[in-house]
Amino acid sequence: MLLNVKHLSTHFISSKGVLKAVDDISFSINKGEILALVGESGSGKSVTALSLLRLIPNPPGKITGGEIVFENRDLLKLNPEDMRQVRGNRIAMIFQEPMTSLHPILSIEEQVMEPLIHHKGIQRTKALNACYQLLEKVHISDPPIRGKSYPHMLSGGMKQRSMIAMALSCNPSLIIADEPTTALDVTIQAQLLELLKDLTNEMGTSMLLITHDLGIVARYAHIVHVMYAGKIVEKASIETLYSYPRHPYTMALMASIPRIDQDCRKKLTPVQGNPPDLFNIPKGCAFHPRCPKKQEKCMEETPKLIPLANNHETACWIYE
Amino acid sequence: MRQYIVERLLYTFFILFFISILIFVLARLMPGDPIHAASMINMDLANKEIIKDLQQEFGLDKPLYLQYLYWLKDFIKGNWGVSFGSGEQVRSMFMRCLPVTLELFFAAMIWSIIIGFPSGIISALKRDSWVDVFFSSTSVIGVSIPVFWESIVLIYIFGVYFQILPPSGFVPFSESILDNFLCMLMPGFVMGTHGAGLLSRYIRSCLLDVLSQDYIRTARAKGLRERTVLVKHAAKPVLIPVTTIMGLAWSYVIVGSFFVEYIFALPGLGRMAANAIFARDFPVIQATLFITAINIVCMNFIIDIIYGFIDPRVKIHDPA
Amino acid sequence: MTRHKQNNTGKFLTNDLQWKRISIVRALFKHKLSCIGLIIIMILLFMAIFSPFLAPHDPNEQNLYHVLEPPSWDHLLGTDDVGRDLLSRIIYGSRVSLSVGILSTLFSGGIGILLGLIAGYRGGIIDMIIMRITDTFMCIPGFVLLLVMAAAIGPGLLNIIIVVSVLGWTGFARITRGQVLQIRELPYIEAAAACGASGFRIMFRHLLPNSAAPLIVTASLSIGSAIMLESGAAFFGLSIQPPTPSWGKALRIGYSYLEIVPLFSIAPGLMITLAVLAFNFLGDGLRDILDPQFRGEIQRNK
Repeated sequence: MLLNVKHLSTHFISSKGVLKAVDDISFSINKGEILALVGESGSGKSVTALSLLRLIPNPPGKITGGEIVFENRDLLKLNPEDMRQVRGNRIAMIFQEPMTSLHPILSIEEQVMEPLIHHKGIQRTKALNACYQLLEKVHISDPPIRGKSYPHMLSGGMKQRSMIAMALSCNPSLIIADEPTTALDVTIQAQLLELLKDLTNEMGTSMLLITHDLGIVARYAHIVHVMYAGKIVEKASIETLYSYPRHPYTMALMASIPRIDQDCRKKLTPVQGNPPDLFNIPKGCAFHPRCPKKQEKCMEETPKLIPLANNHETACWIYE
Repeated sequence: MRQYIVERLLYTFFILFFISILIFVLARLMPGDPIHAASMINMDLANKEIIKDLQQEFGLDKPLYLQYLYWLKDFIKGNWGVSFGSGEQVRSMFMRCLPVTLELFFAAMIWSIIIGFPSGIISALKRDSWVDVFFSSTSVIGVSIPVFWESIVLIYIFGVYFQILPPSGFVPFSESILDNFLCMLMPGFVMGTHGAGLLSRYIRSCLLDVLSQDYIRTARAKGLRERTVLVKHAAKPVLIPVTTIMGLAWSYVIVGSFFVEYIFALPGLGRMAANAIFARDFPVIQATLFITAINIVCMNFIIDIIYGFIDPRVKIHDPA
Repeated sequence: MTRHKQNNTGKFLTNDLQWKRISIVRALFKHKLSCIGLIIIMILLFMAIFSPFLAPHDPNEQNLYHVLEPPSWDHLLGTDDVGRDLLSRIIYGSRVSLSVGILSTLFSGGIGILLGLIAGYRGGIIDMIIMRITDTFMCIPGFVLLLVMAAAIGPGLLNIIIVVSVLGWTGFARITRGQVLQIRELPYIEAAAACGASGFRIMFRHLLPNSAAPLIVTASLSIGSAIMLESGAAFFGLSIQPPTPSWGKALRIGYSYLEIVPLFSIAPGLMITLAVLAFNFLGDGLRDILDPQFRGEIQRNK
């Protein structure tokens, strides 16, 4: 197991109360695996990603409990210096908005080279060459010329490719991709995800892919975890989740996807109800106000993840 | 880049043209002309014939626009007229007073930077701590204290009560370096405090803004040392707006010089201008106003150019 | 020059604005510095309005037997060069400063906002002309202009208000225009135009209220700087004429007698500083509160 997260909780404190963005979640990623973390906005996926790298702004946020065991070390117990060695080096992150995530006044090559120089102590000239090779790998043509340009001169797709190059530079064991293609054109999305999949395969890198797009998940991930209101409500492999979704939320999500073989006169079925107010999460199962199958128990007790067959778990009292 | 410079240059000339008109009109708005003013005092001139002759001699009987054109032509040629009060060439008066004022400006800018930069940076880094509150409050106070009051208070404390600094008067550099330094100490400081307050607040606000940007988060996610993040990633984007504010600080310095030179009895341009205004000495007023405006416009121009060098986004016309 | 965050919630007005007004005032008092500022402003306003009741003596009453006296029970701050009670003169002085500050801001705000609205909304040549004029005025440092104009049209309360107003409009114009440029592309403005709303209606009912935030901040800061400018002019004798009490003038006279009665210089200057400070604190507080980004931070610190 490359990464083993146990009972991680991250809270945000504000005048309105405590926001439990991530509430006691546990999951693990093996070497070479691509784990997709799916959920709607506000479900806690991005906060999970930032928590892994301990990039939660404090104040107002705080990791309030749990363990993040990565390569046999608990990241939460590392001192700041050691944690810095992990970031960009053993675990790298690709952010959602390439427009704002790249530094506007540093050249591309400068930014891609930085982790190499900083973590591997490579000399500038050698790092520059390595940087060009990386840019080639992410299919950016003419690296020596492109490298000297600034982010505002590149298209969205190219910016994101640069971010990928930056992330891969030190050959990390784990890449966290937080909605890497959400801000891009659909046509570019496919290209970029293929690239990411190929590269991670080639280098044996694991990936935590965070997204709200079930289509992407189906094509590119091995395992899926569904998040809702800060908790993980279903864990399954791709085949299992898409064929036999068990949690009512997952089922509603699946049902809301328009199908190509559907009668086009039929109305779309969204997930009924409204997303939860994270300051006032309902007692018991957070999904119960929107659940068509709710029972008495759902309003009282919060369900834990119950194992079903085949590495398939779900947090729902129906399956107790 | 060249295009940008040319553009800025054209704009500068354009503005200067308008300013010259504005200044000319303003100066002429003052009631009466010096001939009449002089004739009030000296009864010999009360003869209408003589007044008319004098007016013709000084060109005061011609239509306003012609007067303007003559003035402009002369100005560009270097003939800035003759002071109505003293009969001295305005230009030589100017040259005489310039070094004093320049030294004052120089001292003021140094004080502004020495006090303003560290205070702003530390406030931002230690946000909401007592250090921040202290520096922020003192910045606001610095901006709120009238220059003339601050001068008087300091003169009282150091000049009258403790008697360690000269309360007024100027000793040129050529005579005595130490005395020169001592008599410039208070004036420079006073003029610098306003600019320091401005700079401090502005730097704090810009730095906080920059530090909350996505690309800083990316830099941290790459595992870079906090010092690198600050110096390499945060400093430049902060410098850009700060350079612009230096222009504003510069104009505060100019304004302050009126009071400071008056109170500290420094024979500089500010005092020359103030006296001229009271005496309705047109040529001196016009020349000084125009020079002041040119000063500011040129400073803005220089800042725009520096801007162009620091911020690659401005050099859009360069081929990638 | 701070990068302006995009405000893309087309807030529809009146009800929303009323709700906001109440919570803004409440927030202002919670914000430490702006609370201090508000308190000082209220004290000054009180002082100005109720001067006749607060001042222990008639500010214009001269008493040549008691000239330049140090503080005593009868004259808490001493007397000035013609025997007038300094404390009373300072209390009455608040009237001049506050009235100049507030009135000139109203005028300069009015002109500036109007010009900014027109420039921003109409665009094109009108925009260019207005902006060039604004730039030109901005290149001449305010105080220099003040001196010249004050010398040109002479001293006096009304004149100084006019002069200070002329100096301040550029800031309002620039900011208004900037706001308008951001907002006018938003769909709800297009919708209003499509409904047949006239230019003026759009400008005043839609563009202006939604640009209000930075303008309110500017207004507060502008009052502070107007007070500063007026006292500067008074220092050079270009503002109110004697015998009307004015802080700047008092400071000037105090300077001449610095060695004998330092209090004469300290007191008026302190008042000017406090007044300007108060409005600056208020302006800063308003800026923090009205910028939605900061609102969360302030709530965090409660």
